[in-house]
Amino acid sequence: MHVYVDRAKCDNHGQCTFSAPTVFRLDDTGVLQFDENPDDSLRADVDEAADVCPMQAIMVND
Amino acid sequence: MSLEIDVPYLDISDPSFSMHSEAVRNAREQHWYAKTNYGFAILRHEYVSILLKDTRLIQGSGKWPDHNGVHTGLFHDWWTTCLLVLEGDDHHRIRRMLNPAFSFRHIESYVPRCESLAVELVDAIIEKGEFEFVNDFAEPYATRVLCILTGIPESEWSTIARISSSIGLALGITIKNDLAEIEAALAELYGYAESLIADRQANPRDDLVTRLVDANRDGDSLSDDELRNALCLLIFGGMDTTRNQLGLGMQTMMRNPDQWELLAKHPELARNAVEEVMRSNPTTTWVTREAMVDFDWEDLHAPAGSTVHFFTQVSGNDPEAYPNPGIDITAERAPHYGFGGGMHHCLGHFVARMDMAIALRTLSQRMTNIRLNGQDEWMPDSGNTGPVRLPLAFDTR
Ligand code: HEM
Ligand code: HEM
Ligand code: SF4
Repeated sequence: MHVYVDRAKCDNHGQCTFSAPTVFRLDDTGVLQFDENPDDSLRADVDEAADVCPMQAIMVND
Repeated sequence: MSLEIDVPYLDISDPSFSMHSEAVRNAREQHWYAKTNYGFAILRHEYVSILLKDTRLIQGSGKWPDHNGVHTGLFHDWWTTCLLVLEGDDHHRIRRMLNPAFSFRHIESYVPRCESLAVELVDAIIEKGEFEFVNDFAEPYATRVLCILTGIPESEWSTIARISSSIGLALGITIKNDLAEIEAALAELYGYAESLIADRQANPRDDLVTRLVDANRDGDSLSDDELRNALCLLIFGGMDTTRNQLGLGMQTMMRNPDQWELLAKHPELARNAVEEVMRSNPTTTWVTREAMVDFDWEDLHAPAGSTVHFFTQVSGNDPEAYPNPGIDITAERAPHYGFGGGMHHCLGHFVARMDMAIALRTLSQRMTNIRLNGQDEWMPDSGNTGPVRLPLAFDTR
């Protein structure tokens, strides 16, 4: 699976880190870092992260 | 060598203090924060955007009841364990289970019902040519949307509105005197929430409460008490805010009739109009945090326990972030913080964005030349603000 975050939209609220903490995290400066190619077993969590993002900044592809 | 920086001072408990004052604008121009008689105030958009999400600054209002002499009882126990005041893993666990039910996708399914509600309320007053915006539109609308969302019968909306305003007394410094009324109201709201939960456990439906009942992550789910507390919080946290924000939206639009006409011609701009209203004229004029540890940022030194206010109205009109701060419902803007930010970012923002867009769109389709029609009355313009009374006259279109 491929994860893409639109940096122009993302506002670093970190809600995605609750859904998929091993894929998304905020670094020490509060900026979102994420794994662009997480394992397919995490698909449900990543989809959830994309679903709940307040800025709708996350896209997920196969 | 120490560099002396002249930090502005704002007296925010002075009854004449106003977010819209020259003094506040000057302070923002002078420095990125001000000292106040109640902690610090962050004024510039750039700094609000970063520091609002800093986890060393916690929500902090969990101690409110204790600070005011309320150490036990129903309200105390609800308040001190509700999502808004939880931090760290305790917060994330509950937030994670609530979030999916409030996703864009799910909330969009409520559009048709919100549309027919807006039309019903407008139909009821359109022949008269005048109405009192708060009583005749904003309050029933905001309350009935929450009824629709939670599955409480809409016919009970005025009971829910009364309960919520009684619980709201808990946010005032007279909390201790009002405690009997507050607790009776909360017990009544618990009754509604518990029967909804029991009903959806027995008869699942395609709705929000069923999704919360079914919420289950990594083998963990919400207990009945956690579910009840969350339902009560979202009824309480979603009603007055939406009502007040709608009133402020009308105020902004009445000051910018060209934008109202533009919206009437281009209803697809309604969502952007909501963003523009919340940026420039938010009901939550500040969001409060408490420093959990000694907090240093550039020349700001906030000792552990001190209060940090984020002035969202001031940062939303900061010319550095918004070079043309005049109202323009077609503009693409930097994000505003009218819904707060970070891990406590408003849970119900997709609801509020959707229902307020429908309200503004529906009103603009039917009314023009909206004008004040008698004495209006407003809450103070700091903290949570909005109209108490807003009598309006209009021409129909
Ligand atoms: C225009 C309407 C609304 C405004 C301006 C608004 C504003 C806010 C703000 C500023 C916060 C953050 C408070 C803080 O960080 O201290 C917040 C949190 C919250 N809001 Fe809203 N809100 C609105 C509507 C709603 C609605 C409709 C709901 C429920 C359906 C809701 C539920 C909540 C909840 C549960 C929280 C706590 C979230 C947490 O702590 O994780 N709000 N809201
Ligand atoms: C979701 C449920 C909410 C609860 C339970 C809650 C609770 C409280 C409490 C206990 C206080 C007083 C303590 C303090 O000053 O820090 C307070 C103050 C305040 N709350 Fe909330 N809040 C809630 C939601 C919101 C929301 C959604 C907003 C914004 C729309 C908001 C904005 C404020 C503001 C601005 C103050 C300061 C009021 C003043 O002193 O004038 N709160 N809140
Ligand atoms: S939830 Fe959305 S806005 Fe927040 S950090 Fe994740 S991607 Fe960015």
